[in-house]
Amino acid sequence: MAELHIDLSGKSAEELIVEKHVANLHAGFAHWPRQDDGPPALGDARWPAELILATWLMAEDGRPPGTGLNYKTGASGGGFDKLDFNFLPEADWLPDMLEPDLSIKLNKRGDGRREIEIPIPIYGGGMSYGSVSEQVMRARATAAKNSGTFTSTGEGGYPASLVPLKDHIITQVATGMFGVREETIKYAPIVEFKYAQGAKPGLGGHLLGDKATSTVAAIRESVPWVSLFSPFPFHSVYSVEDHRKHVDWIRTVNTAALVSVKVSTPTDVDMVAVGSYFAGAHIVHLDGSYGGTGAAPEIAKKNIAMPIEFAIPKVHRYLEGEEVRDEVTVMASGGVRTAYDIAKAIALGADGCVLGTAELIAIGCTRCSNCERGRGCPFGLTTTDPLLSQLMPTEWGAERITNLYAAYAFQLKDILRKLGLKSIRELRGRRDLLRYTD
Amino acid sequence: MTNSKTSPIQSSSNRQLVAALLSSRAQLRPDISSELLNRDEAAEGGCGVIGMASSVQIPARHMLQALSQMRNRGNGKGGGIAAVGLDAAQFGVSEEVLKQDYLFAVAYMDDTVRAEVEEQFVHPVYEVDHVYEQPQIADYTSIAGLAVRPPEVVCYFVRIKPDKLAAFKDEHDLHNLPERAAQDEFVYQNSFKLNTSFYASLGEKRAFVLSHGKNLLVLKMVGYGDDVIRYYQLEDLQAHVWIGHHRYPTKGRVWHPGGAHPFIGLNEALVHNGDFANHASISEYLAQRNIYPLYLTDTEVAVQVFDLLYRTYRYPLEYVIEALAPTTERDFTLLPEDKQRVYSMLQRSHMHASPDGPWFFLIAQSDLGESGENVYRLTGITDTSMLRPQVFAWQESGEGDEKVSIGFAASEKQAIDAALENLAAEDSRFWSRADRYWNARGGSHTDGGAFLFSVHDDREGQPDLVLSDKFGRPVPAPTSAAAYQPNGAQPQAAQFPAGCPDELFAWAGRQIPTWTYQHVQDFLAGLEAGLGSDAGRSLAIGTLTLLIDRCYPTGGLRRSSLVSLFDASLRRVTAAFAKIPSAAYGAHAFGEAIAAPKSADQVLVVDASGFEPEGEHSLSIAIQKLVDAGWRRLMLVNAKGHRFIGNGLGMDTADLEIDVYGSPGDYLASGLDGAEIRVHNNGQDQLSQIMKAGRLVVHGDVGQTFMYGAKGGEAYILGNAAGRPLINAVGKPRVVINGTCLDYLAESFMAGDPLNGGGFVVLNGMAFNEAGQLEELDTPYPGGNLFSLASGGAIYVRDPHGLVTADQLNGGEFVELSAADWDLIKPYLAENERLFGIPVERLLSVDGRLLSPAEVYRKIQPGAVRALQAEEAWVTKEARMAPRGEGH
Repeated sequence: MAELHIDLSGKSAEELIVEKHVANLHAGFAHWPRQDDGPPALGDARWPAELILATWLMAEDGRPPGTGLNYKTGASGGGFDKLDFNFLPEADWLPDMLEPDLSIKLNKRGDGRREIEIPIPIYGGGMSYGSVSEQVMRARATAAKNSGTFTSTGEGGYPASLVPLKDHIITQVATGMFGVREETIKYAPIVEFKYAQGAKPGLGGHLLGDKATSTVAAIRESVPWVSLFSPFPFHSVYSVEDHRKHVDWIRTVNTAALVSVKVSTPTDVDMVAVGSYFAGAHIVHLDGSYGGTGAAPEIAKKNIAMPIEFAIPKVHRYLEGEEVRDEVTVMASGGVRTAYDIAKAIALGADGCVLGTAELIAIGCTRCSNCERGRGCPFGLTTTDPLLSQLMPTEWGAERITNLYAAYAFQLKDILRKLGLKSIRELRGRRDLLRYTD
Repeated sequence: MTNSKTSPIQSSSNRQLVAALLSSRAQLRPDISSELLNRDEAAEGGCGVIGMASSVQIPARHMLQALSQMRNRGNGKGGGIAAVGLDAAQFGVSEEVLKQDYLFAVAYMDDTVRAEVEEQFVHPVYEVDHVYEQPQIADYTSIAGLAVRPPEVVCYFVRIKPDKLAAFKDEHDLHNLPERAAQDEFVYQNSFKLNTSFYASLGEKRAFVLSHGKNLLVLKMVGYGDDVIRYYQLEDLQAHVWIGHHRYPTKGRVWHPGGAHPFIGLNEALVHNGDFANHASISEYLAQRNIYPLYLTDTEVAVQVFDLLYRTYRYPLEYVIEALAPTTERDFTLLPEDKQRVYSMLQRSHMHASPDGPWFFLIAQSDLGESGENVYRLTGITDTSMLRPQVFAWQESGEGDEKVSIGFAASEKQAIDAALENLAAEDSRFWSRADRYWNARGGSHTDGGAFLFSVHDDREGQPDLVLSDKFGRPVPAPTSAAAYQPNGAQPQAAQFPAGCPDELFAWAGRQIPTWTYQHVQDFLAGLEAGLGSDAGRSLAIGTLTLLIDRCYPTGGLRRSSLVSLFDASLRRVTAAFAKIPSAAYGAHAFGEAIAAPKSADQVLVVDASGFEPEGEHSLSIAIQKLVDAGWRRLMLVNAKGHRFIGNGLGMDTADLEIDVYGSPGDYLASGLDGAEIRVHNNGQDQLSQIMKAGRLVVHGDVGQTFMYGAKGGEAYILGNAAGRPLINAVGKPRVVINGTCLDYLAESFMAGDPLNGGGFVVLNGMAFNEAGQLEELDTPYPGGNLFSLASGGAIYVRDPHGLVTADQLNGGEFVELSAADWDLIKPYLAENERLFGIPVERLLSVDGRLLSPAEVYRKIQPGAVRALQAEEAWVTKEARMAPRGEGH
């Protein structure tokens, strides 16, 4: 925990104010989870206070909390929260000394492009420069580097400070094409096409005017203080053969990169997935409802896309039927909050998961849902205000996200041992290991 | 079938006939438990399409190259062709049988089923005049990639047994129906029953009807469209109208030929590129009229709607097209009042049959004209929002009985060029450039978004090809200037004055109106005689390039034919470089080792013809390697739809120049970040997407979503842009478009303040006519959406008559052109003059008078933008305090 040192010499009042706030915030994040009565207002049914506090502890310690806080499920009353594992009797658990393998392959096509394996079945999802601060982006990318995995730029350009971390950064190409240049496509080991977000399918991206500060607008090369809307489709992709051309385009610009296709979960998500595979995608990234920050309209988050728990098995089984399941990596996102959610998503048929909100929680998000406003985030995460964003120092954030990943890995291994599985790859599609708890 | 001459809507007897026809189909209703009533399971998929219609019959092999160059638009899971206006002799029937009999083509998918089908659906109901067993190659596996054995196809030339027809009429009270309409309906229902018995409703799929219209044949299978031609040995099969199709289905591991395009109604076959969201709604609309699609694809539903509206309701084609692709928004308000009245009735009645989504239909029809003569028709219709690429073309030569006309409609221009080149190589009545290429403006008051090529047979003399738009207005034929006909004479190298290419071009330009083709050939021979020296080489290249690029009076010579000769000369010249490279010109072709340039200025002539259109062995990857090897002057020749040219070159390419000749493909110059690319032809779709810096010059038109999401750079376009140019562009792109656009120009444009480093588009609204003179278009901008939701940048539109109106803007506003604006755009117009020979002075001349810039150009800029949030006060303060970066 940071301690309060005030050096009055040579610091501006502004710097001192930031320091004071940072120290107090960090003290709060460490303090609240250890209190018996918890804070008066925190979280929601999907992310109850207990889960947020547990996540803060994991971000601090890199281990599941030993305090009795529920770190496995939320209180949504459905989906992942109603699923549990059929663990083996304790006598049949694999020994503690055995370390189950958590790695997954991101290129299963064997097409001569990069063979990329990540040691944990998770990477970070796209959050743009503009939706979050540069500090948050750097913290996420540093954590990805520490953990041997990736994070995604989202659609808001590629800040220069991220370039040293480019081996761990997925360049997103989304419908507004903001900040996408050949150079940023060439940086990337993986290029992600964002067709839609599960939180708001059919609505495109939007960054409201007062988050489009001069610096945000400069990197997107747009007009400052004007709301930015990414169209909901790619105007050059209205059909599957357009998509194929789109993929061929990226494959021409960067001849080594893998291609990920991020789609939301409409009822025909299975066809979208198989179409993406046949067009050359290495990764099909399914983004279900329930994800998204507070900037996504509530009515969209809860009413348009299919929950990811339904979409994963639908796609998994369809790809199996097409006999291409082992040629493509399926990543799932949209309301994945815990190591248990990750394991359940994999048991339903995903290869791995993509995280967004969980990482923001780790660095102080309380789900207050004020994200769309320029200076609405009390913790300096979803802001590009030069002062506010200093409330989340990069190194502190990187360490906490790295710790969270470590805590997840610890639990995933534990889950695998209790299921008698030596590898996370063996868990994929094992719906028989899940039960519905109602 | 006949075209109804009186308005079908007002005729009550017609209404009764329609009701009788529809109720006669009630017996076709599938069992309620049938999977046919499952409307949620429509297959989706994209496609590549080409259609051609010609006054003379042409063999199918001329579609092979076109289809093969569009293979990326399919995935080998469905291909098909349709042919209308066939050659009787090739089927072993008389002309009379071909035109009078139904051509009942059945696909047999197992060896035992033919006898069963014939016993139930052929012999009891039809008099069979002739049976033609469609030839096929012996071993289907000899065609690479064919995974499913294509069906055996038998064509029966049949007439309905009179007693069966009489019984059918009795049963359904159809006596008042014209004889042909009753026969058509009989055939339709018989085929429907065959399909439900042997294909759709059973688990096993054994036989289905490919086509059953008169003088119309459909063949399709699991494969690519060009595979169909090879497998069924159609290379020499002649027809007036052809359509070819690749399908890209995304669903199902097991595919059946029945799911491939084209789909049939009765006298028409339809192929489709795109998909629509309201398949279920249209299926319901059809079910209410006792029509039940069998193959669960949106394309079949579309052709059933077409057949219903045209054959059953007997609407004129114009009304059918309106029901499919309604005229909306501003375009609707610009229709004449009587059309508005009828169209709004059509829209209200058939809203639920209007395909909602991106689509482009090609329809091949075997129809009857007003005087009962045979009409073979190719129709291309685009959706109202123009979401799919589409291009039309027309070429015509000769007069009187010698006249030969051909029309095309396709997904890509390069496919049309491939077909023309194929034709030209065999048949001197054709040459490799069309007289015209154009796009349809979907759901518009100008052309209605559809064009119809109709071949009228049985008139006096030769069949005649007539081009008309949706409204039935004939489109005037291209200039009557004569096309080149080889006469066997050996060209004699002619002398010409010494000078640089510009001077020689100027000289030739003055001579050409007085020249014959022999003079042209002699001049070219003279030019080609000088290739021994590098000076002679660069003179030839430079002069030919100007002759190809520029528009100038051509006297009695047909421009497209003339330019084809220059194209051919350029091919000979560059082929000569390949044989003997020189200090100034190197050569490279597919498979050759890459050498370093001898000097920074050495031009490398790259023969594109051997390279793949995309992927590892593509031209675009080869260009990347050549640039890595140090080449800075590339001249690409013989491009045939190669995609991604100039992609992946990255930054630091400001010293790189690429010239492109031939017919390049999509995504050219996308991501360009410094280099200059000059296209000496039309461009295709997605050019200069996310372009950052550098320069693109196109001596022709560009296609869909030109400069989508561009950040900067300059572009000069001689002709038009199709839909959605510069959509979502930011930063500082600076563009001159000398023609116009279909619609949605600079939507969500965010390119800062043009007077302070931001971007803009100059839209001149001009075009060269066939006499080589610059003319104003009817309006500089016909669309209803200009600069919509833009927050930055500007449009400078040449609009001296004030034809563009505020109702075309959504968020933009007109302001007077200031001196600073003119100072900004003048250098770009000067460069435009240098590139295209469009003098600034001519642009400022209106009706022969030289006006001031502010009288000619109007500026459109974003209307006042309001910050939306509670932080507005804080934000605006911050905005004032923020340093003004470049471009803002």
